[in-house]
Amino acid sequence: MSRIASEVAVFARSTYFQYVALFQWASVRGYVAYKILLPVAQMLFFVELGAYATGPENAAYFALGNALQLTANAGIFGVIATVANERHFGTLPILLGSPANRLVTFMSRAVVNVLDGIVTVIIGFAIAIGLFGLDLHHANIPLLALCVVVVSLSTAGLGLMFGSIGLVMRDAIIVANVIYYVMLVLCGVNFPVSRLPGAVQLISYSLPLTRGVEAARQGVAGASFGQVAGLLGGELLVGLAWALAGYALFATLEGWARRGGMQEAY
Amino acid sequence: MRSLVRAAFSSLRLTLRTRVVSGWMYLNWLVFPLIFAAAGLFVLSTPGGSSSRLVYGVLGGGLIGYWSVAYIDGGNGIQDERWQGTLEQVFATPTPLWVIILGKVAGAILFGLLSFVPTAALGYFGFHAVLPQLDPSRFVISLGVLTFTFFCIAITLTPLFALWRWAFSMVNGFEIAVYVLCGFMFPVAILAPWAQGVAGVLAPTWAVRALYASTMAEGPHDLVAWWLVAVGLSLLYLCGAYFLYALVERRARVSGQLAWA
Repeated sequence: MSRIASEVAVFARSTYFQYVALFQWASVRGYVAYKILLPVAQMLFFVELGAYATGPENAAYFALGNALQLTANAGIFGVIATVANERHFGTLPILLGSPANRLVTFMSRAVVNVLDGIVTVIIGFAIAIGLFGLDLHHANIPLLALCVVVVSLSTAGLGLMFGSIGLVMRDAIIVANVIYYVMLVLCGVNFPVSRLPGAVQLISYSLPLTRGVEAARQGVAGASFGQVAGLLGGELLVGLAWALAGYALFATLEGWARRGGMQEAY
Repeated sequence: MRSLVRAAFSSLRLTLRTRVVSGWMYLNWLVFPLIFAAAGLFVLSTPGGSSSRLVYGVLGGGLIGYWSVAYIDGGNGIQDERWQGTLEQVFATPTPLWVIILGKVAGAILFGLLSFVPTAALGYFGFHAVLPQLDPSRFVISLGVLTFTFFCIAITLTPLFALWRWAFSMVNGFEIAVYVLCGFMFPVAILAPWAQGVAGVLAPTWAVRALYASTMAEGPHDLVAWWLVAVGLSLLYLCGAYFLYALVERRARVSGQLAWA
């Protein structure tokens, strides 16, 4: 029991410290720029593009997809930066030298970003309702909320995977940029996945967000939990698979970095 | 004069050589444009839509990449020196700062032009998008005017980013809004009237409008007027830049605060 309590304490401390030390961009100006301006602009761009291409009556389709995709802002950018910054700020050798449980330390990197992702999506929904007329009158709101939580968790899983690469790669944030924007194309955010070529659809369904967006669209149309349980379960499994693969990679790279003395190789 | 040209050219050459090995540069001129062009082309090729709209996907992706390179890489000309610890050496040389920045921005702009290559290839091979109504001479002039507007904006942003670090965060956060306001992937005419008003004071809006008009037969074609407005606004930006560079010089040489601003 005391061991579990000790691991929980490590998890909580690690979460707190990663917030205060590694969430370094979170000044008021930074938050406004990256959490308000960028999401509003991204939604505005794709809603206007969609309205131009398919008619203004479809604006809500694009608004919903992009509001949900905003969670990747925290789940991908945030998590990758949080893990990769250990190397960038020179704290990686200290982290690797600590006796703390690696899995607990690793998973704690995602917690604040998951919460941040949920907040970001709420901001996105407020914008979608206020500016783009997203109608939630017939929506299953608890189900929609569940979709947001699940999508935030699953995108953070993908972030953990690519954050691990940051342990040995100097510009991991480049990878974050690529993943974040590729999701705009592959995850059914702006057009149905069925329009992609067959092989690319396989990639789509191996990524987080794809099933989550589909479930949320059904939730907005009033679907019940039972109707989308499979999609949400799949979304969680995909996120978990990426997180575990990330942990395995983290452990492998840790050994590699130790053997080669590369923890501080910038 | 020859020594200034030589200094600017050296700065350009150095910029090109460092950018060839920069992952960020490939992200901006190759990956970003391809992703946005793919997203745009899929949305614009929705069954039932007009095929003439595909031009917005083909050129729009390139414009997005071009703009990203211009404002991020061109605009961070002084910041780069600060991060690399070479700011003092740059100010200590007898060559005026603006000459060095001119070469750096020109190098970035040259890379930015590459953005149109992958998006045109994606449009052609992936979506069979062609530009049958293209007027080559007007297109080239419009692209030249657009390049001038991006060049002037990058020159103006460079001292701004150096003087106030938060300015980059703000412009970075505003990046996608520029795509909207300048009509990179759809006409500005579909925006709300107030947004069209804001778009009107941005020089690239007019150059992009001319660029798209040179690829289409329908719609207004007041290209000369649009070119002139774009160039006029760009020159106004340069006037503002003159005062910003003076402020940078003062911070660097008089108070010595620029390196840690």
